[in-house]
Amino acid sequence: MTDFLFALAVGVLFAIGVFQLLRRDLIKAAMGFSMLFTAINLFILSTGAYDGVVAPYTSNVEEGLAVSDPLVQALILTAVVVSFGSYALLLGLINIASRRFRTVDSDEVSDLKR
Amino acid sequence: MSNNNLVLGVVFIPFFTAIIGLLFSQTERDRTQRYISLMGSALTCAVSLFLLTQVLTDGPQVYRMGGFEPPFGIILVADNLSALFSVMASTVLMMGVLYAVNCQDKCLTYPAFMPLFLFMEVGLNGALLTGDLFTFFVFMELMVLSSVSLVAISDDRYGPEAAMKYIFISGMGTLFLLLGIAAMYATFGTLNLADMGEQLATGQRPLLARSAAIMLIAAFLLKSAVFPFHFWQPDFHTTAPTPLSAMLSSVVVKVGIYGILRLVTLLFAEEAQQIEQLLVILGVIGIFFGSLSALQTYNGKRMLAYSTIGQVGFILVCIGWGTPLALAAAIIYSFNHAFIKSALLMLMGVVASRLKPKSADFRYINGIGYKLPWIIGALWFMGGMALSGLPPMNGFISKLAVAQSGVDDSQWLPLFLVIGSGVLTLIYMFRTWQNVFQTKAEPDEIRVEFKKKGDSPLAPALLLLICLFLGLYARPLVDIANATVAQLSDPSIYIGVVGLFGG
Repeated sequence: MTDFLFALAVGVLFAIGVFQLLRRDLIKAAMGFSMLFTAINLFILSTGAYDGVVAPYTSNVEEGLAVSDPLVQALILTAVVVSFGSYALLLGLINIASRRFRTVDSDEVSDLKR
Repeated sequence: MSNNNLVLGVVFIPFFTAIIGLLFSQTERDRTQRYISLMGSALTCAVSLFLLTQVLTDGPQVYRMGGFEPPFGIILVADNLSALFSVMASTVLMMGVLYAVNCQDKCLTYPAFMPLFLFMEVGLNGALLTGDLFTFFVFMELMVLSSVSLVAISDDRYGPEAAMKYIFISGMGTLFLLLGIAAMYATFGTLNLADMGEQLATGQRPLLARSAAIMLIAAFLLKSAVFPFHFWQPDFHTTAPTPLSAMLSSVVVKVGIYGILRLVTLLFAEEAQQIEQLLVILGVIGIFFGSLSALQTYNGKRMLAYSTIGQVGFILVCIGWGTPLALAAAIIYSFNHAFIKSALLMLMGVVASRLKPKSADFRYINGIGYKLPWIIGALWFMGGMALSGLPPMNGFISKLAVAQSGVDDSQWLPLFLVIGSGVLTLIYMFRTWQNVFQTKAEPDEIRVEFKKKGDSPLAPALLLLICLFLGLYARPLVDIANATVAQLSDPSIYIGVVGLFGG
């Protein structure tokens, strides 16, 4: 059941993320960017964290109970930090660009194309 | 095998230098931070050279972070390829910092400029030396984010726009890299390159592994600006501040090349055939696309950025041929191209820094070189010779290696490519030389203010001296490249050095 829910969540988030990323509005595109990152983080989480039934750091693991994978959570922690960093930088840049161009339409933010 | 601190030093010296640099202010007058950064990067360069000699004599070196045994901990591995690329990156980065010390750009006065520059070096060296796919991703992101910040604060008024475009595109590359990493982890339960290589070599191919290969290669191609993923590169590289644009176009694109080399030799050695066919096609398109675009562009820096697409195409074609000689040619080409391209971009920056708009637009810079000291024109001439592959510069050696490997593999394509692209390069380099340095300013051109004081041409001169030296005395580099290829063709060396726990 968890697997199915994860697959559904990853799929839906990916779909929304791609849709948002392709929009003209730069801020919505940035949101799509962040959603795609979340989808992939969920995908990494689904590869191991819910395989077992007990947390890996409990010292008195009962016999026969599978332990979940702690590494994926460490990976996601790093990936979340990285994605937040780039998301924040992206929003800052959109802020500058929108002030300079007086618009957030990605078609009009193109002075470089000559 | 014991830990080698030199491997850690290449990554951590720039890191600590950047942090120490943050303690000092950075203004037009107070240049303490710049000198500290210069010392740090010079030390990194020395350490990387020392590491290379040690790797060549004693075999690959490792550093295990925190004492965890692989495949559980993070590990830094310096084999021949990593050490050679790290020497390249550290040397060019040092020259970039040397250029930045006497750079007149306003963005140099931001207190975060030099630390960000050094964080880019951390990302570069870390990505080259890491033996773990996820750490590779983290270092790559460190590099991307610091270079994006540096472009965003550039003097060029289009900086933020180019940075924003790049961070969207690079974000896509990062997403695919992360997807590939997730797929690899789901398949093999490990992220250690050696461990994955060992498991892939046994011949088992779950479905996700192949899709992971595609995703990883897409990410690497995007980072190295290869033909279908190239469109962000000219914008981003043109608008960057000069010290940075010299780095971006020369060494930062090489991280993608390094990733592809690792992918086809260590990880997906069995699928290498199919990947290599793709690389040859993309490379050939890239060579002509890059060279022809460079012919008809309007900006000096942009021209060199397009030319990078062509040169990366050569490297890809060489990797695609896949013979030992061709791989050695790819390594020689990457190494030489880094020095040539960074020197040329710095020279373009020297010329542009004398003008008020600080742009390398041909409308502004045509005829400006006539007012500059003759040495800059002479240096540009040397650089043009190197880029188009004329002796005695190092570009000739790399072109020769490409041609030789192609003829050895009895491909008719290489000679045609080498000659054709060489002629195109010759045309755009020497047309620029003539327009910028040999003609007097025309009366009807746009009036621009000419400044007495510009950037110092010391760093590009040193780089071109290295180019000349590598051209005249090419034996060591060729030998190292051959040894590297011999090491790459046997993945068990890399896997054995990492020393898998219980494996």
